[in-house]
Amino acid sequence: MRELPDFGAASRREALAIATELIAYEAALLDERRWDEWLALLLPDCEYWVPTWIAEDELASDPRRHLSHIYYATRAPLEDRIARIRSGRAAAVVPLRRSAHVMSNTLIESCGPDRIDTRSAMLCHNYDPHGETVDVLFGWTRHTLRLGEPGWRIARKKTVLLNDTMPSSVDIYSL
Amino acid sequence: MADFLDPWVDDRPADGVFRVHSRIYTDPGLFEREQRCVFGRTWVFLGLESQLPGPRRWLSTRIGSVRVLVTRDGEGRLHAHLNACRHKGAMLARRETGEARQLVCPYHGWVYDLAGKCTSVKDERTGNYAAGFGDDHDLVALPRFATYKGLMFGSLSAEVPPLETVLGDIRPLLDLALEQGPDGMEFVPGRIVFRYRANWKLQLENGTDFYHLTSTHAAFMDVMNQRRQGAGNQEARQFDWHKRLQQRAGTFHFEHGHAAVWMDQAEAEKRPIYPAIDEIRRRVGDVRADWMLKVRGISLFPNLQIADGASLTLRTFHPLAVDLTEVRYYCLAPVGEAEALRAWRLRQFEDFFNVSGLATPDDVVIYEDCQQGFATSPGWLQGTARGHGLLREGGNEAAEELGVRPLATVIGDFRVQNETTLHPAYREWRRLMGAAEEREADHA
Repeated sequence: MRELPDFGAASRREALAIATELIAYEAALLDERRWDEWLALLLPDCEYWVPTWIAEDELASDPRRHLSHIYYATRAPLEDRIARIRSGRAAAVVPLRRSAHVMSNTLIESCGPDRIDTRSAMLCHNYDPHGETVDVLFGWTRHTLRLGEPGWRIARKKTVLLNDTMPSSVDIYSL
Repeated sequence: MADFLDPWVDDRPADGVFRVHSRIYTDPGLFEREQRCVFGRTWVFLGLESQLPGPRRWLSTRIGSVRVLVTRDGEGRLHAHLNACRHKGAMLARRETGEARQLVCPYHGWVYDLAGKCTSVKDERTGNYAAGFGDDHDLVALPRFATYKGLMFGSLSAEVPPLETVLGDIRPLLDLALEQGPDGMEFVPGRIVFRYRANWKLQLENGTDFYHLTSTHAAFMDVMNQRRQGAGNQEARQFDWHKRLQQRAGTFHFEHGHAAVWMDQAEAEKRPIYPAIDEIRRRVGDVRADWMLKVRGISLFPNLQIADGASLTLRTFHPLAVDLTEVRYYCLAPVGEAEALRAWRLRQFEDFFNVSGLATPDDVVIYEDCQQGFATSPGWLQGTARGHGLLREGGNEAAEELGVRPLATVIGDFRVQNETTLHPAYREWRRLMGAAEEREADHA
């Protein structure tokens, strides 16, 4: 059995407070479609990864050797997605699904003065006002946060979807 | 009885008419009939041999709604059976793939070897079975099973021509996908599964449809324009669609419902096989190597498509209900591909294809819109007409170059866009639906 984390350290408490608020804030930006603020919360070299499942209990572990739902080594490809959402020229984004995230159970996996690694439970309900359907994506998210000149920002986001029989469209606002 | 069939495919070559009726996508009676007459009476793709990489491996798959189990026995020989215990019908294999010395039914513990033979009826001696129980407890073998260059196919009916006959002259096109690697092809680990609320034939049609690209994927093309300025996902090395739209393109029609589309390649250097092209040229020759670099799409009736345009994908689609379909996308790649090329391939694939990609979700949500449109019964559709005026019987210079003998061909500017690829598919659909009708009438 692994040793239990040291819940008592003051720096750890501080890290948890920072991470919990930042992750909830990110979810709110996505749900409220505040795309520019969302992009600004991500560092330019932010890695963004949604792995596929290789088998029932084997998750893809290497984006260079295994298929991903989404894998971006930097933030720039996410800017493509925002442009596409804004274009109004793609059936899958017109009308855009409404999303409501619940990010919870945030844990600090490791932390230092300028870096926090976290794991949170992720749940996102989506409503498609055109098809009048609801779908739910759920799993867990690992965020790495980094402290820089403007403050804490997201340096890495990895979302593990547990229900991987997908609906007809999945995009960043529901991850 | 004839009204079940006749009105739904209007095929009058002399009048230049080919059209299908919206009811083929919506009628639950026709759907039920498709299960028996189409999926029940023709060869259907089961998987890749490389999904069972050694003895005692197994793969759980399906033909329509029928669950199929493909296994390799201790000697490595392939077998295909229904994935159902003979005792009470429980699915024997509960995972997608696995490796085992024997398969034990989780319900009452009957045991089968990897050749499908029942090796133990649990507690048989104390079971007080009467004579009627008999001694045949082996798994039910698929009536037909065969492979072609690593692709595995099965048929629920024994009354089908040999696989090689049914694949016929589309085989050289299949080879262009299956021989890109010197040691064969494999699925990159991981797969995409999604469901859409519309008929399976929407995916059948989309697989060879160039016409939708500039409208359905307008936003994708806008993004491509931005990328040419240096923005966005440069790692995907996506193609320049303005160049693509200038290319020569064409269609091959084959027997048994198959068709292929192709387009000349303006940017061969963006294909992940390009750095390996010298090896490919030495192995398959210049003509076939150049064809491997072209944009190509194959539709193998009823539910296998191999597309090699934005990236190389193999996809299957399984009808679950008249208005519900499951699609599985795999990334097909050379065995032993260099890691940098594999990563290049993956980024290109994910950019376009997944329902989390930038193009596929637009197709899929529109399938659902089509299904809604069909429900309002527009009647005869006009979606199989484009390119009909250029359709010629037999081959053309492209067919000759590649050495294929198609039933018919179209060749021209990319904008012809060739909806005639659906003529072979719907002729085969109608033949299978009707042929079964005749047999049933014989037995009546």
